[in-house]
Amino acid sequence: MRKRRNLTKTALLLVVMALVAAACAGDAANQTPETVVVTSIVTETVTETVTETVEVEVPMADPFADTAVTVFGPESGGAEEEAMRAALDLFAAKSGIDVTYLGARDFSDQINAQAAGGNPPDIAVFPQPGKIADFAREGFILPLPSETEAVMNDNFSSAWTAFGNVDGVQYAIPTKADLKSLVWYQPARFAAAGYTVPETWDDLLSLTDTMIADGNTPWCVGIESGGATGWTFTDWVEDLTLRFEGPEYYDQWVDHSIPFNNPQMASIWQTVLDLWNTPGAVFANSGSIAATSFGDNGQPLVDGKCFMHRQASFYSAFLPEGTPAADGSEGAVDVFYFPSVGDEKPVLGAGTLVSAFRDAPEVWAVMEYFASADYADARQRFQALGKGAAVTEGVLSGFLSPNVNADLSLYAPLEQSFLDILNTADIVRFDGSDLMPSEVGAGTFWTEGTSAVNGDKTIQEALDAIEASWP
Amino acid sequence: MEKLLTTILGVVGSVGISAILFIGANMIFDLAPRHWKWFSALVGFLTTSTVFLILWANDLLLSPGTVTLIAITIGTVGGFALGMTSNRWLRFAYGAGAGMALGALAGSFSQNVFGILEDGTPVVWPARPDLQFGPLLGWTIGGALVGLAIWVLNSRQKPAYRSALFWGTVGWIVGAYMVPSLSSGTQSDAILAGTVLGFGIGALPGSKPLASALERNRVKEESRKYIFLAPAFLFIAVTLIIPTIRTLVLSLRDRRGDGFVGVENYKAIFANSNTFDLSDWRLFFTSRLFWIGAIIVLIGFVIARVRGKEIGTRIQGSPPSYATWFVGGLLLSAAALSVLRGTLFNNLWWVITVTLVATAMGLGIAVLADRAKYESAAKSIIFLPMAISFVGAGIIWRFMFQARQPTAAVPHGGQTGLLNALWVGLGELSASTWPKLIALTLVGAIAIGLTVLATKAFKDRAMGLAWSSTVALVPVVWFFYSLIVGIGGWANGRGEIILFIQNSPFNNLWLMLVLIWTQVGFTMIIFSAAIKAVPAELLEAAEVDGATESQSFWQITIPQIVPTIGVVVTTLIVLVMKVFDIVKVMTNGNFDTQVIANEMWQRAFTELNFGLGSALAVVLFIAVLPVIVLNVRRMQKAV
Repeated sequence: MRKRRNLTKTALLLVVMALVAAACAGDAANQTPETVVVTSIVTETVTETVTETVEVEVPMADPFADTAVTVFGPESGGAEEEAMRAALDLFAAKSGIDVTYLGARDFSDQINAQAAGGNPPDIAVFPQPGKIADFAREGFILPLPSETEAVMNDNFSSAWTAFGNVDGVQYAIPTKADLKSLVWYQPARFAAAGYTVPETWDDLLSLTDTMIADGNTPWCVGIESGGATGWTFTDWVEDLTLRFEGPEYYDQWVDHSIPFNNPQMASIWQTVLDLWNTPGAVFANSGSIAATSFGDNGQPLVDGKCFMHRQASFYSAFLPEGTPAADGSEGAVDVFYFPSVGDEKPVLGAGTLVSAFRDAPEVWAVMEYFASADYADARQRFQALGKGAAVTEGVLSGFLSPNVNADLSLYAPLEQSFLDILNTADIVRFDGSDLMPSEVGAGTFWTEGTSAVNGDKTIQEALDAIEASWP
Repeated sequence: MEKLLTTILGVVGSVGISAILFIGANMIFDLAPRHWKWFSALVGFLTTSTVFLILWANDLLLSPGTVTLIAITIGTVGGFALGMTSNRWLRFAYGAGAGMALGALAGSFSQNVFGILEDGTPVVWPARPDLQFGPLLGWTIGGALVGLAIWVLNSRQKPAYRSALFWGTVGWIVGAYMVPSLSSGTQSDAILAGTVLGFGIGALPGSKPLASALERNRVKEESRKYIFLAPAFLFIAVTLIIPTIRTLVLSLRDRRGDGFVGVENYKAIFANSNTFDLSDWRLFFTSRLFWIGAIIVLIGFVIARVRGKEIGTRIQGSPPSYATWFVGGLLLSAAALSVLRGTLFNNLWWVITVTLVATAMGLGIAVLADRAKYESAAKSIIFLPMAISFVGAGIIWRFMFQARQPTAAVPHGGQTGLLNALWVGLGELSASTWPKLIALTLVGAIAIGLTVLATKAFKDRAMGLAWSSTVALVPVVWFFYSLIVGIGGWANGRGEIILFIQNSPFNNLWLMLVLIWTQVGFTMIIFSAAIKAVPAELLEAAEVDGATESQSFWQITIPQIVPTIGVVVTTLIVLVMKVFDIVKVMTNGNFDTQVIANEMWQRAFTELNFGLGSALAVVLFIAVLPVIVLNVRRMQKAV
């Protein structure tokens, strides 16, 4: 690896992979080595130009010549999309399959239109197991063939594969994990102001009050996300439901064995909104919580306009370039566990899963690549590169893989600890809205939540509307 | 090169096939007078092969090859027999018999190949109607009665039983295939449904007497226009008529289009407070907007009464009263539609506001720019936004409306959106000392200038100028006063922002502004052309008779361009009813800004609830329909 300084503030991060082909075993003598060069340009605001050369063996006899696979997913823009693309480019160069990745922020709307309209992608990256269940029952997505399922089972624990299992049939492979019960903060700023990390929910509330009294703004909150506006709010609700009402209630709430508009739910919404509506408690970059994009909260946090931001582990991908992570330096960001009410420390997790729409050998080949540790490692390497620094510096990439064979040394210590927490916590629950039917989980829970946050509706009106929309 | 070649081949091939089809169709109809029985056989052949090939293509038949072959044979022979027999009873037997045979055939082999398992066995899905005999009889008898009624209305020309037969068959189709579930019936149900349908269709030609020589010639002559129309009709059928019918059918079915639910989807639209909300109607009478609007409308009546007294009638409309009625009406509609909430009312609000404002502004600009010095340049600038797509316009205006959490230290509170920067900047101005004094001096000078102008105009009896400068004086004086007492987003040493997009219900007006911005160019261009087309002799004659500019505008130009106003208004109404992109881009229907088109899209595609989505589409369709009919009627009159 070679590095050199670049004077310009905005530079191109050029990842050049010169892939030198090794001839096949049989006729190595009379065949000249083929060279495939894959260039992936990442436009990022970074101060360095990094050139990495990866040498990969390419088999000469190519069973997948002239085949193409399209992948569609919600990761769009920034390091996430570029890393996804680069990881797939790498596989494309190795296998000869022409793999195209397309990302869209309003993925959950678009995939419905595409699937119902009969022109789906070959593979889709689903952030919601609930949608996978819907699609499997509609007959849109295909069950995994036994070989692909075997590759998956070698790499993932059953706790993760279960989210892609619908009525006993495996439809999807987990590709990414997120730990949601986290609060991002800057330890140095906390220390300077004399604040301590809160251990309980009451500590958190009193810390909030103290900060307001000191003239500081405790929270950064924004729930705008295009067609998915409102999901940040649902995350807060889910985290608090897990804390105040416990996992049994949570499970019943998710599978709708208790109505959505029950009094406990109303009181949880009230708790969230009371905190957000406390004067001076929230810095909303675009003037109001409902107008502020969830991705716009990283800069204010680093700038000190707010002290805390509750968001999942992937949020490090949205922090400004080169923000140091948990290394004790001045501007470093770190996370603390979103405090619980009792002794139990429940954890909210989420993730993405891939599922196939077309039955073809090249599609299953790409699916098996998604299931492999190769994908997990390549994605992590590129995403860390995309964040503007070498892996060894311990920059947070924002990517976590639930793959048990993934190379943990590629991750910053902080992100390694996320994986530990997800794998060892006593109570782990998947993001509830992602498990609910899409009418609610990707529909009214978001829109009615946004109405309640924006003050267009009372909490009870919003809850009643969600309950009425449950299919 | 290869691509070019295939493209050329494709173009030549499709043109050739079209030409052959076209010439062939003409030649076939040339056959009609001399070889009637062969022609009749051909019609039978074409009809049955079309129907059975469609069934085949949709995987609705088991062993489709054999079945289609048998069906085509029956159809051809039936057609041939009908073409040569003149005996009434035999004809009926041939027609009805062939039809019943075909229906029974289709019914008994009705299966849907759903997929093929790995080992090659097909997964078969029954595609058979689950007949409910009560409703089915009701539909059929109802259809027949409708047929009789049509026969009576049609001055009893054709035989009554043919009309009853035709509409009874239509009733049967609805009762047997559209109402019940199509995938859970038995084979005998399918045979029965098919046989009766075949009987109905076959009996129609069977009950007609054999065509006379005159009729055969007429078939030949009449066929020409249909051959010419066929390609266009086919295109419209595929892209417009069939989707419309399918949407209608889907709107009566459940979320996935499987079972019949009647008008449940329509009920759901009106039961949901997100789409239809009357609960706050009482607030209408207590809202400020209502009172201001009502007072302005009343002022309009007072002005009209004064004018009426002058010329000795009760009330007399004139430009000042039209203007006040227009403004008052807009305010009243805003008052009503900001308390009646929900998607449907919101869409109505869009229609009223955007149509009225865009029309009025377009007309005003066209009149003011007419014969002005830099007319074409001014019109070009106003026309420019027309070139921007709705999505683009939405994104541009989202940036204009953008708000930022105000911070004290930065100028304008760190606003990045233009409108909020202006607003906070105005606040800064009114909180400052010297800049404020300079601004006050400027505004004061303008106010004094306007006062002088108005006084002079009153003395010279130039009433138009006098009144317009007086009206213009009102906001200037108000602004002067506000500057003194404080205006704009500034309090406690920091900016105060306006959340243009989030504060309901008036955020809707800000979204409408975007559409108005893009549409004013369109209305202006059309009106400008219409005004230029007003005959110069009329205007000259009026001038000779001593009419003022204002009089000749209201008495000559406006009556001359009324048809154009009609076209513009109806076009705008249809356009605004369908508004989608702007709302989708700017709010996605959040914050009480939902419109029917976006709601439809969300229900159908975000939630995969095709029943509800289709019902919303039908509501939109029905709402647009009268406007379209009106437009078409006028176009026909104009021709």
